[in-house]
Amino acid sequence: MRTGLVILTTASIIAATAALAHKGATGVVLERMQGMTALGDVVKELTPMMRGRTPFDADQVRAGADVMVTHAGQQMTSLFPEGSVQPVSKVLPSIWEDWDEFVELAEQLELRAEGLKLSADVGLAASQADQAASMMGGGMMGSDQAPAMGGGMSGSGDMMTVDMFATMPTDTAFAAVAQTCSACHQKFRAEDD
Amino acid sequence: MGIFRWVVGAGLLAGVGTVAATIVWPIGKEVEEIALVGDVNKGAYLARASGCIACHTNAEEGGAPLAGGAPLKTDFGTFYPPNLTTDPDYGMGSWSAEDFARAVRQGISPDGEPYYPTFTYPFYANFSDQDIADLWAAFQTVPPVGEAAPEHQVTFPFDQRWGLKLWRAAFLPEPNTASEPGRSEAWNRGKELVNGATHCAACHTPRNVAGARIISERFSGNANLPVGGKAPSILSGDLLAEGWTADDLAYALRSGITPSGDVFGGSMAEVVQFGTRFLTDDDLDAMATYIMDNEI
Repeated sequence: MRTGLVILTTASIIAATAALAHKGATGVVLERMQGMTALGDVVKELTPMMRGRTPFDADQVRAGADVMVTHAGQQMTSLFPEGSVQPVSKVLPSIWEDWDEFVELAEQLELRAEGLKLSADVGLAASQADQAASMMGGGMMGSDQAPAMGGGMSGSGDMMTVDMFATMPTDTAFAAVAQTCSACHQKFRAEDD
Repeated sequence: MGIFRWVVGAGLLAGVGTVAATIVWPIGKEVEEIALVGDVNKGAYLARASGCIACHTNAEEGGAPLAGGAPLKTDFGTFYPPNLTTDPDYGMGSWSAEDFARAVRQGISPDGEPYYPTFTYPFYANFSDQDIADLWAAFQTVPPVGEAAPEHQVTFPFDQRWGLKLWRAAFLPEPNTASEPGRSEAWNRGKELVNGATHCAACHTPRNVAGARIISERFSGNANLPVGGKAPSILSGDLLAEGWTADDLAYALRSGITPSGDVFGGSMAEVVQFGTRFLTDDDLDAMATYIMDNEI
């Protein structure tokens, strides 16, 4: 299983490298695009499992989380030196104006990916005996998880510590990771034409 | 020469007369008393779906919920979503339920002024009295914030609110939310949400020079969003061509994750974060069913 994943990841990196290089990315820009592709590949691979469409495999979650950790935090921010803009890159210059925020989000990704790994022992929310509406689901319709009218809306997730993930359903942890990706892309990635 | 001067004079006079008539031209419909008892949870759910919380909260700057949103820069000026808290001076604390009904469904302030269409009221026109009562009940739970949102920074002639009456007369579209016989319950529910509360077309439809949606190009995308972003086409044909299924779309609205393993960026990230991820599975499936099966 693990070997299969490694082969798959390696193969996709090679394929992605060819595709990206072809578009003219070089140096750190190429390297970070490969990193982003690797992150996306993990998301794509784990999504059907998180949705309960394929059998749950804690090892596969942990392996995916490990890949994410290696592309997050310092590793990620080091690939965005000031002014590293190439035509193929979708980075917005605001990333260097709001550098601290980018660093925070990259570190948050690292933390949440580590959390995802811990949460692999818990399993999906749907498999939990005392399943309340999951943090990302249900919501609002009488759920006390999402206070009426925007209470706790300003990213209560910012406060998440790694320990909290150890008891969190895996799909909730996965959603938290995806939310970080989205928050960062919202701020620092240009939209497609 | 004499005749020319007369013609110009008459023209000016007519122009002034037209403007004056427009300024006093009454707009909107009478609002019946909203006597129903609202359900706070249903109202909060509808407020999420409708984007009230997303747009009227400046989460980025750590603003209190509904105390006023992040500025929207448009071709016409910069708009500041106002304070919708229960503060009597700076929010809606002194409004009646009927004032609220008129604001939401008709886009007219308690003073009778038309709102700018940056407020997506045209999508809410078919909200039922019960919807309004629910929303109003939910808004009563919002703690007051005694601070005004900044005034809109709009340049002449767009700062002349009476001009909006002409805009309304020319462009105000009716939301197409009515159930269609022969379609599934989910499809019809999706139609009601997509064309009403969740106002997908506000961003995913291009706008004309007057900032009005080009209805014939509905859902074909908009490369010129107020915040500088771009909204792609959500025509079912385009989505299908990119490999989307209704199931993918429902999950993307829940999680922000797209079929390729990418995530939404831009303002769609915000839509998911503050809106659609709080919707029920049934409602997300309904929206996806309608959008994917919507041959336009």
